[in-house]
Amino acid sequence: MNPTSKPKVAFYWCASCGGCEEAVVDLAEDILNVVEAVEIVFWPVAMDFKKQDLEAMPDRAIAAALVNGAIRTSEQEEMVRLLRRKSQCLISYGACAQLGGIPALANQFEREEILRYVYQEAPSVINNSGTYPQPATPHNGDTVTLPAFRNSVRALDQVVEVDYYIPGCPPTPALTKAALDALLAGRLPPRGTVLAPDVALCEQCPRLESKPKDLSLDAFQRPHRTALDPEKCLLAQGIPCMGPATRSGCEALCIKGNMACTGCFGPTSRVLDHGAKILSCFASALAPKEPQGIDQALAGLPDPVGTFYRYSLARSLLRRKRGPSQTQHFIRGNPP
Amino acid sequence: MSVATPILPMREASGASSAGLHRPRRVTIDPITRLEGHGKIEIFLDEKGNVERAFMQVPELRGFEVFSRGRPAEDMPQITSRICGVCPTAHHLASTKTLDDLYQVEPPPAARKIRELVYNTFMLEDHALHFFVLGGPDFVVGPDAPPQQRNIVGLIQKVGLDAGRKVIGMRRRLRDLIAYFGGKVVHPVLGLPGGVSKALSPQDLPGFQQLAQDSLEFALWTLQVFKQAVLANPEYVKLITAEAYTHKTCYMGMVDEQDKVNFYDGKLRVVDAGGREVCRFAARQYLDHIAEHVEPWSYVKFPYLKDRGWKGFVEGVDTSIYSVAPLARLNAATGMATPPGPGGLRGILHDPGGETGPPHTGQPLGANY
Repeated sequence: MNPTSKPKVAFYWCASCGGCEEAVVDLAEDILNVVEAVEIVFWPVAMDFKKQDLEAMPDRAIAAALVNGAIRTSEQEEMVRLLRRKSQCLISYGACAQLGGIPALANQFEREEILRYVYQEAPSVINNSGTYPQPATPHNGDTVTLPAFRNSVRALDQVVEVDYYIPGCPPTPALTKAALDALLAGRLPPRGTVLAPDVALCEQCPRLESKPKDLSLDAFQRPHRTALDPEKCLLAQGIPCMGPATRSGCEALCIKGNMACTGCFGPTSRVLDHGAKILSCFASALAPKEPQGIDQALAGLPDPVGTFYRYSLARSLLRRKRGPSQTQHFIRGNPP
Repeated sequence: MSVATPILPMREASGASSAGLHRPRRVTIDPITRLEGHGKIEIFLDEKGNVERAFMQVPELRGFEVFSRGRPAEDMPQITSRICGVCPTAHHLASTKTLDDLYQVEPPPAARKIRELVYNTFMLEDHALHFFVLGGPDFVVGPDAPPQQRNIVGLIQKVGLDAGRKVIGMRRRLRDLIAYFGGKVVHPVLGLPGGVSKALSPQDLPGFQQLAQDSLEFALWTLQVFKQAVLANPEYVKLITAEAYTHKTCYMGMVDEQDKVNFYDGKLRVVDAGGREVCRFAARQYLDHIAEHVEPWSYVKFPYLKDRGWKGFVEGVDTSIYSVAPLARLNAATGMATPPGPGGLRGILHDPGGETGPPHTGQPLGANY
């Protein structure tokens, strides 16, 4: 490998979908400038470097590692610790790394429940032998190994120290470019900053003008059962929209697609628990004041965890379902 | 099965013996690269250095089938798209169509056309991603190129900056079309039971019509690049068609009523390695035809043809393993529904260098083209 003086950058994914890698590729023409300015030393989706290439690098040799995805397995823990050690700056990229993301919805289920359903009970599975993935499978005197499946899904900063966060599911190319430019120019804000505007999405929403000054919610509508006015505030039309309590910076893309914000940019810096903040926003705007009327209105929100904590369950105060483990014969991982 | 010449440089796993003249007994590829998803390959060699057994392992589980339960049905298109952010549009629309079925509603013609437009646009930009960014560098840059060049950057160096800009620019335009309707291109939000969330403004139509024309030209240009970079190189053709890289399974793809390829709607048709139809079914009947098998060495499950039962990792006409994706799609259909562009699309891989050839062969190296 030809050593260059360009800053080294690494990209890695944990429990994720690859959408964050696409978001980087979606820099489009700008990616040519990125490639010109930095040396990419690790990026599984696009480049053939292996884990041992990373291991062979001196500590702190990488200027910045952008890690997306939540943390569920021992291998993901190992990889992010390795990247932390090799990098001067570790950036949490996307909702899963920052907050747990969609994969953290699995925290509503116990580990054994998940494994039992996936490998035994799902209607598509035929598994008469009761086989489950094992940490070690013998093969001719050798062993084929699998990482441990931990008890819960965690955000990146629940495993290693994180320097900056780029939010979103996925982050926009504009935010990505701004972050990379700031990084290359050494113009980064204080450590721990989320690199996106620190105001609620409503401030950036093209429908802001039609948002009622005093929001009053009588009932919640489902988007396919309502003829939506494509110009009017979705909350004013009874559609649960996470905009009032979600950080902006997404360019209101879902709203431009005539659908509600589901909260992927997470909370602003003043909020500890994203879901609780949205819940409190809705609760204070609820028009009915009598128990019966309140129940009726809330019946329109059949899945509060999936609505309010769609992306942030791992980073919430409760974090996961807790309960006694019922079975012991699955892969045992050390509890986090 | 004979042993393949590795096209990727293989590294010896730590701890494996390479003392003296002994060949390594074990080759580890970790992680697998230039595709969406997490994977590791463990290859065990016999005394002659031939492959004795190989394990393609997926080292993680997220559990969508568990945490999707108990949620409003209309949230599924946006939750299941997170299965894969490289092909979110596929999961989004599969889930949306499931909602049509659940609610027993047919989208109005305009909504159906918007969905098809979005989906076919996705098929084009996603295949361009595969060819130029993910799989293509193996051939365009070359299987023997050093790993730091065997990628999109090396590919642009090889084909030229102008060509690189052309690919990037076309993908951006195609993805902008998806975002126009879907809000976001990664994890679109347009799908609703019986329709879509956003309409097309008539003043935006001419731009999209121009894009369609440019896309056709782009596809034909890509085909030329493929022919020049891959098919014109006898070494590559030998590699692709080598017995070692031939993998005969059943093939599944979606077809219309004339058994032609359809990306958006139709029946799932399965043929065996000899081209004989095994089954044909509507997506809603999937549990009657597909089952999943569990192995102890991977978190991913192995779908197979339920009627045939799990027979292990065997190939041939009787196998219960089936392939999907581009090559399988062509094998499962009798042809494309629209006339081919100049040069012809079908038969490229079945008979490299010719227009016709034996159908129903499987060349995994070409499976995604």
